[in-house]
Amino acid sequence: MELLLAGVGSYPRIGDDPSLQNLRRVTDQWEKGQRTREEVRRATEEATRLAIQEQIEAGLDLVTDGLIAWHDPVSHVAGKLEGIAINGLLRYFDTNFYFRQPEVKEPVRWKEPLLKDEFLFASQISEKPVKPVLTGPYTLARLTILSCDHYKNLKSLVLDYAQALKKELEILALAGASSVQIDEPAILRHSEDWEMFREAFDVLSKDTRLSLILHVYFGDPAPLYESFQELPVEVLSFDFSYSATLKDKIASLGSEKPLGLGLIDGRNTRMETETEVLGALHKLVPKIRAPFSYLCPSCGLEFLPRDRARGKLAAMALFRKSLGNGGTP
Amino acid sequence: MSRAKLSQSGIELPLFPTTSVGSFPKPDYLTKGRARFKRGEISLERLRELEEEATTFWIRTQEELGMDVLVDGEMYRGDMVAFFAERWQGFEMGGLVRSYGNRYYHKPIITGELHWTGPTTVNWWKFAQNQTQRPVKGMLTGPYTLMDWSFNEFYGSRKDACMALARELRKEVEALAHAGARIIQIDEPAISARPEELTFAIEAMHHVTDGIEAYFITHICYGAFEYIYPELLKLPVDNFDLEMSNSKLDFLDHVKAYPFIKDLSFGVLDVHSHRIETVEEVRERLQKALAFLHKENVWVDPDCGLKTRTVDEAIQKLRVLVAAAKEMRGREGAFASRCG
Repeated sequence: MELLLAGVGSYPRIGDDPSLQNLRRVTDQWEKGQRTREEVRRATEEATRLAIQEQIEAGLDLVTDGLIAWHDPVSHVAGKLEGIAINGLLRYFDTNFYFRQPEVKEPVRWKEPLLKDEFLFASQISEKPVKPVLTGPYTLARLTILSCDHYKNLKSLVLDYAQALKKELEILALAGASSVQIDEPAILRHSEDWEMFREAFDVLSKDTRLSLILHVYFGDPAPLYESFQELPVEVLSFDFSYSATLKDKIASLGSEKPLGLGLIDGRNTRMETETEVLGALHKLVPKIRAPFSYLCPSCGLEFLPRDRARGKLAAMALFRKSLGNGGTP
Repeated sequence: MSRAKLSQSGIELPLFPTTSVGSFPKPDYLTKGRARFKRGEISLERLRELEEEATTFWIRTQEELGMDVLVDGEMYRGDMVAFFAERWQGFEMGGLVRSYGNRYYHKPIITGELHWTGPTTVNWWKFAQNQTQRPVKGMLTGPYTLMDWSFNEFYGSRKDACMALARELRKEVEALAHAGARIIQIDEPAISARPEELTFAIEAMHHVTDGIEAYFITHICYGAFEYIYPELLKLPVDNFDLEMSNSKLDFLDHVKAYPFIKDLSFGVLDVHSHRIETVEEVRERLQKALAFLHKENVWVDPDCGLKTRTVDEAIQKLRVLVAAAKEMRGREGAFASRCG
């Protein structure tokens, strides 16, 4: 089995060196009316270029655009859909990062591409395949304020979000994407909603030629592990930092699907040791009955300072090298 | 009950006391001064003069606006966690991480055993209090938030780190109380981050406040209150200062289901909006609060610190807040009972 290295979403938009702070500077000046939107776009593209370059330099096989253009994982996706207004700030799960909360006013519908331009730009400048990232329908619905009579329950909103995102998947496929990562952190806190979650993934996966990667984080995936294996997605990608039992569960049950092994903690600066990571890989990799899997961070890296984010990606490459045989133990 | 506690310490407040959460925008001369200090172009003494000038400006401004309980405006702070981390042993300063949108902060790293190194906020509190007859709040960041908003590379668990911070923070609270602070605010905006940790967050607050003579306030904002209410009320403080307007007063739904039994500083201004609220809007928000809260328990303040607004915006917003509180006093009775 081949062990590939992947990013899983966001990448720091800023660094401590002033040369890495241009996007902040230009955006700040734009907010004061001193810069144009076009100048912000160019600064965003430059920061994206740098984020991709650093991922490639670290040795990643599959990169993201770092979600550099995103205000947050929720409003950037939901805010472009019909029927949604964007509201006040709310904490994003258990982080010290805040998102603008969507409020549903009318039926939710896709009306314009959400990520197409960002994906085309990133693909054009990246030597490595670029994986677009979408926040999934269940998480979007869970974090949305319901303010219209059209939706009688959460499930109907989840399924409408799924239909809207399904349209976006078609757009991304036409734009040349081969895989898309769907982020669903909220399901780890609401396993009681599994049935509507599964139905949403039936919608997303129907007739798609994309390889769908489900990434779940900020919670323990172990209690739902068997259910995840039944989902119509190609890859399951997990945050290992919240679970005391996930490694044992995978070692015991194995995996029919390729896995994203989020063994690198994207929420703490402490660097993982080779002993820790190789120990986990030796335990997990032989149990994966698939031609490839990914070693990756537990979540997007923008929760870390840039130097630590780079350091952790570089360490991933060293861990794979130490594992030997091109990642095949 | 809490009014009695305040009264015993010589503080008499009108109905709907007005206050601020903590931070105010830094005047241009201070922002520039801080940048020049970073570049080594001015001395620490000169920076300190500018910070004092700005603190004095905000004390005068709050008095002129008619605020009842003042804050020093945190002119000397960059960030509410980094300020303590830069001064206590056991922390190193980490790089920039994003807070939201285009806002970033230096997130500290706990790399060793934590130690309080001596009074951290006391001199600033004294400086501010010496300039006014009105009470000035002592302002601290709580142990759970200091832990949650730092990286932990030293302690074996989040609880261990939190308890170590509580142990050291108590020394600062004792120093503030000893200096004469009668109202002390301990900010815990992170407390709803992991509801399963609320029990040890409450235990930590007991370590910080138990047995100390002061009226304690805790400020909490932008969290999922529904997961921690009413358990939240077990925090050993007298007053909860909560963001309300940003979340469209949703919290009142929870109060409807389980009565709020302490004083509540009711956030009536959205600090992330440039728009200046009208007096009528603020008054309406307060009237909604009174459907579920006793008027003697309600304080009036913005949702959060105003540091992200311009100086003019902050003053205009506070002017509206005071006007609305005064109108409400006119409607609800001149002054609160002094026997609590």
